Amino acid sequence: MEKLIYFELRKLFSKRLTQTALFGILLLSVFLNVSSYQNKYAFDGKSKEETGNAAVEIDKEIAAKYEGILTDDKIKQIMSDFAPKTDLHGLNAVYLYYNALQSATFRRFADINGNWNGLRVSDVFGNEEIKIGYIDGWLTTSQNMAKILVVLSFVIITMIAPVFCGEYEGVDNIILTSKYGKTKCTAAKATASVLTAIIAAALTVAVNLTIAFAFYGKSGLDCSILFTSADFAEGFIPFNITCSTLLRYQILMAFTGAVSVTGITLLISAVSQKQIAAFIASATIYIFPIMLPITESNPLFRFIGLLPLYHAQCFSLMSIDQMHNGILYAVWAVPTAILILGAGIFVSRKIFARHQIF
Amino acid sequence: MELKTIGLTKKFGKKTAVNNLHLTLTNGVYGLLGANGAGKTTLMRLLCSLQTPTHGKILLDNKNILALGEDYRSLLGYLPQHFGYYPDFTALDFLLYIAALKGLNEINAYKKSKELLESVGLSAESRHKIKTFSGGMKQRLGIAQAMLNNPRILILDEPTAGLDPKERVRFRNLISAFSKDRIVILSTHIVSDVEFIAEEIIMIKSGTIVHFGKPQEITAEINGQVWECIVPTSCAEKYAAAYNTSNLRVLNDCETILRMIADHPPIANATQVPPNLEDLYLFYFKTIA
Repeated sequence: MEKLIYFELRKLFSKRLTQTALFGILLLSVFLNVSSYQNKYAFDGKSKEETGNAAVEIDKEIAAKYEGILTDDKIKQIMSDFAPKTDLHGLNAVYLYYNALQSATFRRFADINGNWNGLRVSDVFGNEEIKIGYIDGWLTTSQNMAKILVVLSFVIITMIAPVFCGEYEGVDNIILTSKYGKTKCTAAKATASVLTAIIAAALTVAVNLTIAFAFYGKSGLDCSILFTSADFAEGFIPFNITCSTLLRYQILMAFTGAVSVTGITLLISAVSQKQIAAFIASATIYIFPIMLPITESNPLFRFIGLLPLYHAQCFSLMSIDQMHNGILYAVWAVPTAILILGAGIFVSRKIFARHQIF
Repeated sequence: MELKTIGLTKKFGKKTAVNNLHLTLTNGVYGLLGANGAGKTTLMRLLCSLQTPTHGKILLDNKNILALGEDYRSLLGYLPQHFGYYPDFTALDFLLYIAALKGLNEINAYKKSKELLESVGLSAESRHKIKTFSGGMKQRLGIAQAMLNNPRILILDEPTAGLDPKERVRFRNLISAFSKDRIVILSTHIVSDVEFIAEEIIMIKSGTIVHFGKPQEITAEINGQVWECIVPTSCAEKYAAAYNTSNLRVLNDCETILRMIADHPPIANATQVPPNLEDLYLFYFKTIA
């Protein structure tokens, strides 16, 4: 069996298209993260205005000054330190961006002119204890990963689409007349496909996290994602979880998404005669939920949100519900992925084994 | 060992590819002869359990091959007519992969693959990628993979297609040496290949068997109907068109020898010659067409 899995993996990874797709996703990860890093902007409220690495350093310096639990005093201090000193020419101060911490504060606690709007921390966050720090970098990484993980799904579809239908181009008659052609071979194909998807997901996640760690260090991983700059304020996860918890969920869903897509693609591959047809059909099924007229507030989204597309676009799924013990509804992605994968493997193996040669 | 078909029928829509076939095969080499579309490939696929019959069944020692599953497939070696491969695999890797599918252990797989590559004349190219192979080399690799598991039932669909004369001789010797205590079924358009190797000939037309027997027995049917005559070269084409001609050989600028199949001497100087399988093939696939 190990030998068969080895050969199936070799078949998958020896394809030029697979190598290109994998290289492409890793290159995209590097490009998006470096680009985001280079575009970072920060103004210290006095004289220093920087981009890129220097901007991150300014943000980190400011965050270090206020780090800890968010209090009303800290809010007032930040409001005072970064009060607009020039005419805003009609711009609502809520949208004013000097640096990550100032933006997070003004977004919630400033009025149109940049003065304190009278709200207390408890008014905005209830009884939640909000730990603040420099989280902008890791949240940017998380946002980039959400885009990259969608692309990763297409990469996985590209890699796995030929698993069964690729054999229909002539080798199937040799496979199906061999002793293990209808049994262990199909199991090896499914195992190799899952391993391939996991390897691709692991590589992608590892590259993204490594780059983020190199750029931002461990800064802000233990801080709440609720006190975020304007970039992340809209449609973000409404629960008081830390940045590292967010990343852990996202990594988990990178893998659940990868295995779910594998299940779908294996099934489509077994019923398709051509690789291109398998790719198009799998990609269409993957992207289909986004075309449904079901918003996140619709009760049906609790089911739609568990489809693989939303494992990649995890912010929507993570926004659904916080269950008891602080666990997010998003954990249902795990049994869903197992179910989709199991069904995909079971049906595709049956179809391939019963496939007749004409 | 006995491989038996009982009322074997395969239909594709309204077309009947194999029609109510009753056949009993025991150890030996069987040559399957028939024109394109006669049902040879469908019959082979049915015997390989690559297709399920519309009616009837195939029994191996009185057990249905579909129920035998892995047990049947472990006895089987098959070379399909159109043989697919993985372009980036080397010949040795490909054989090792097929060996793994056939359940050979690693040591055996390597030993057997090396042996077969030697037998089919590919040992020097064992580490070359298959995408660099010529048609004949791929065909030889296909023959090797079919024999990896020392199959008790070897089914070869057009095994000599793409092979040059030297390779065909090598193939014939290989099969002859291999065929002891096994059922070997091969189909080909090259009648001489079958004539040399096969102990029994199965002639198939429109999905039914028109002849089944030893070459010398079945050619006896046209005894006295094969003629050779020398004609002027200028008239050779005319005679060839008028009669069922199995061979035309120019002797010199003036004379040509024709080999013809006819009930009576086609021309006055025609002499009777013993029929061969090619004559019979031509007789059947021209006169019963």
